[in-house]
Amino acid sequence: MNFDYIGVYILGAVIVVTIIAMASFYLVKALKRAKEIGMSSTTIKNAIKSSAVFSIVPSIPIVIGVGIMMSYLGLAIPWIRLTVIGALQYEILAMDQVEITKVVPTAQLIATATVIMTFSILAGPIFNIVAFKKLQHKLVDLEKNNKRLLDTITGALLGGIVAGLASHIIIGAFFTGNTTPSDGITVTANGYITLITLAISMVTMAVCGILIQKLKWRKLENYALPLTILVAMASAYGLTFVF
Amino acid sequence: MKKQTNTNELQSSFIESFHRSGRIFTLIALILICLVPVVFSLSAKTTPIWSSIVAAIPFMLSYVLIGLVEVFSYAPLLGVGGQYIAFITGNISNLKLPCAINAQTITKTVRNKEEQEIITTIAIAVSSIVTTIIIALGLIPLAIFGSDIVKVLAPVSPYVIPAIFGGLGIVLISRYFKLTMVPFAIMLIVALATFLLKMDLGQSVMLTVGMAVSIISGIVIYKKGTKKEKIAKKQNDDLCDDDDEFEDE
Repeated sequence: MNFDYIGVYILGAVIVVTIIAMASFYLVKALKRAKEIGMSSTTIKNAIKSSAVFSIVPSIPIVIGVGIMMSYLGLAIPWIRLTVIGALQYEILAMDQVEITKVVPTAQLIATATVIMTFSILAGPIFNIVAFKKLQHKLVDLEKNNKRLLDTITGALLGGIVAGLASHIIIGAFFTGNTTPSDGITVTANGYITLITLAISMVTMAVCGILIQKLKWRKLENYALPLTILVAMASAYGLTFVF
Repeated sequence: MKKQTNTNELQSSFIESFHRSGRIFTLIALILICLVPVVFSLSAKTTPIWSSIVAAIPFMLSYVLIGLVEVFSYAPLLGVGGQYIAFITGNISNLKLPCAINAQTITKTVRNKEEQEIITTIAIAVSSIVTTIIIALGLIPLAIFGSDIVKVLAPVSPYVIPAIFGGLGIVLISRYFKLTMVPFAIMLIVALATFLLKMDLGQSVMLTVGMAVSIISGIVIYKKGTKKEKIAKKQNDDLCDDDDEFEDE
């Protein structure tokens, strides 16, 4: 049965236009401000180019996520859901609250899953409307009164991201070992491929760092991370045929 | 001094305009997002199963809690513009934040300065536009080839996070070595314990716990550093007093 209604596609198009308008608005405002305070156009161009290139490879799994979810929800709803706040793992957990992956999907089940998926992710944006301005003012006060503490907190948050994710990836990979478990919906990572991909990514970035700093390959600086991701992902793809 | 005041006023009005437009855009986006189940139900001439929604309330509440923790913890990292865009477009930890850190590293901006706010906003805005276009374009092959294309590409999708965080980890560890090592050691133990107990917390929870542990250890390091500085300053002052007394004699 086809669950892709024209009304949902139109709403999806409106959402996409709104998101692009929002991002473009902030982009233009930031560019204007950069000019006002005298930031160099080369710096700005580098930021734009590297961000655009960086975003290509990690966007492809999001498209694959739409493909995975389309078996249960049709094409239009996964497209909208993965264009806005959610991420694949969360969306699958949310839609499976009605056990949609275990039965033949019906319009009523999809409607119920969509309500659950929508309401679960509203807290962040609602907080931004109601209280983010106050939180940001508090951060500005902290910067004025104790910049070193704020720098420590932001540095610690970045360090925490590495600590949380790296520990989960490494320990998880050791426990998974040479198996590629599947929950029946998505493919879960093979432990060996995960560890090798992580190592390849680290080594590639280290090599880029050496080339930039020792051999003065300055042009590589803007593309070191996108290149690292590309090399690591290509290796992971190759490794899926080995393990 | 006057010039400094004018610059601060401009900076403040620039940030205020970000808040104003961010709230308006977020409200519009929220209304549109909430319309999705309504438009689907009207198009399919159906209604949701309310009892199933009530049964899912604990699940929804847990995600409300995660959302609130995320909004607090990402705020100092995403800047004002970035925060508003990222909390509408999503994929923060696996795309928007790494993209922003990459742009900050390349342009060598100073933490918590206006230049960094501008670069972060540019990075997240560009990333959101590129991703939104790629997802929309991705509908074409998905509509034509259906699940065949997914079968070919899906096996590689779980490796995006290690591919990003291997390289990014090297950059962040080299920059924040002292702040990263203690929480990393603690989180390795936490991960080991949870996997041994067969209760994998998942990446998003581990990331949040990692941030919390890291802030605590960061504050401890900060306090130790401040204490050491105070002692050094006191010793220096005492030494100066001794010198003065010696000269007086």
